[in-house]
Amino acid sequence: MHPDDLVINDYADDRLAPAERADVERHLAGCAACRALVDDVREIRRVAGSLDGREPPVRVWTRIERAIQLEAAARAADGGARGVQLKLAAARLTSSRSIWIGLAAAAVLVLATAVGLRLLPRAARPGGTTSPPAAAMSSDAAQIEAELRQAEAHYEKAIQGLEQIANAEKGALDPQTAATLQKNLSVIDQAISESRAALRAEPTSEPAQQSLIDSFKTKMGLLQDTVALINDMRRGNEAGAARIVSGLKPKG
Amino acid sequence: MTAPKQRPVLPFPSKDTAVEPASEGMDLVARSQAGDVQAFEAIYRQHAGRLYTLACRMAGSPEDGEDLLQEIFLQAYRKLGSFKGDSTLGTWLYRLALNHCLDYVRSRHAKMSKLTDTLDTEVSHQPTARRDTPIARLDLERALERLPDGCREAFVLHDVEGFDHKEVGQLLGIAEGTSKSQVFKARAKLRALLR
Repeated sequence: MHPDDLVINDYADDRLAPAERADVERHLAGCAACRALVDDVREIRRVAGSLDGREPPVRVWTRIERAIQLEAAARAADGGARGVQLKLAAARLTSSRSIWIGLAAAAVLVLATAVGLRLLPRAARPGGTTSPPAAAMSSDAAQIEAELRQAEAHYEKAIQGLEQIANAEKGALDPQTAATLQKNLSVIDQAISESRAALRAEPTSEPAQQSLIDSFKTKMGLLQDTVALINDMRRGNEAGAARIVSGLKPKG
Repeated sequence: MTAPKQRPVLPFPSKDTAVEPASEGMDLVARSQAGDVQAFEAIYRQHAGRLYTLACRMAGSPEDGEDLLQEIFLQAYRKLGSFKGDSTLGTWLYRLALNHCLDYVRSRHAKMSKLTDTLDTEVSHQPTARRDTPIARLDLERALERLPDGCREAFVLHDVEGFDHKEVGQLLGIAEGTSKSQVFKARAKLRALLR
């Protein structure tokens, strides 16, 4: 009889008392499967302890910096210490901030929906070996479709807000950058149209659902970068603007 | 009405051996508090990679990790006044980040517990044949993202970040034995995913 998994893992982690350890070692001497399990657990732990670090995308700092400046401007406006001009500027920034807060709230809802979309089909097909009852599948499909519609509405609302800002301020961009952004937006819009067409033909298609959500996310990210770029160029933050432009590779 | 649960004092993973003087960052902190955004950017550049890595692994996706990192540094900026130099700036930021990640996963658990309970039964723990090749780090990173909530966080805290089971239990608000079983479950799932 094999030792319990917890015991095998404790053995692999060198956590067993000498007597228990000796028992496990006697078993391992005659059991290749348990030896393989111990080796794999130790290998997983070794690799897990030496994983590489990751570098965050450039846009994260751009967003943090903007949020800090918006907060500072809002505080200054509340205190009324810097006069009418700053209050007007702060009011404009605060209005942008409310859009960002709205976007963050939408993103959280969309995230929850996207997670649901990813997990529901897996939960409905445990191990892929048995078929769930038809009624359960139908209920899951209806739930996924409802979540998709909800996510779509949130993304469209967020994208609409960003488009308004980007369109109103696009004169701040140089023509070449504006053309690249426009081309990228067209490619993403095309992907959204194709995903929608695929969903009309097959509403429960998981790849089409995921593709639509991914396209919305991409469009939102591009519009966020556009607004960040406009802000950086207005502030004369050449380094920040250059970092964003370097990430705007033509698509398609 | 029940009193809010007291958050335990967060330990720092025993495997972290980075040598950093306690006074490190005090100048940058002071300048940041005075409104010098470039000073805060220097803090960000120094620590963002480590915290982003933690956030991605705890949340299970780079997209969520990105959102968490943004929130972590905004919170850090607002709380800079509470950094007194008792620990290194890196330790202070790590604790703040870990708290934020834990709040995030707890809130997600509340929403997703039903689904993860189902997923928890998917993988067999029976011993199988040994792997022929060593595990690539990139493959393990990808497999981590496929672990269900619950066992992923316990695995990340124990096997990746280096906390012991008692500490993992404190951090996640679970018993030490539950931490063990979650970590072992994660290893079994990873073993199956990495075949």
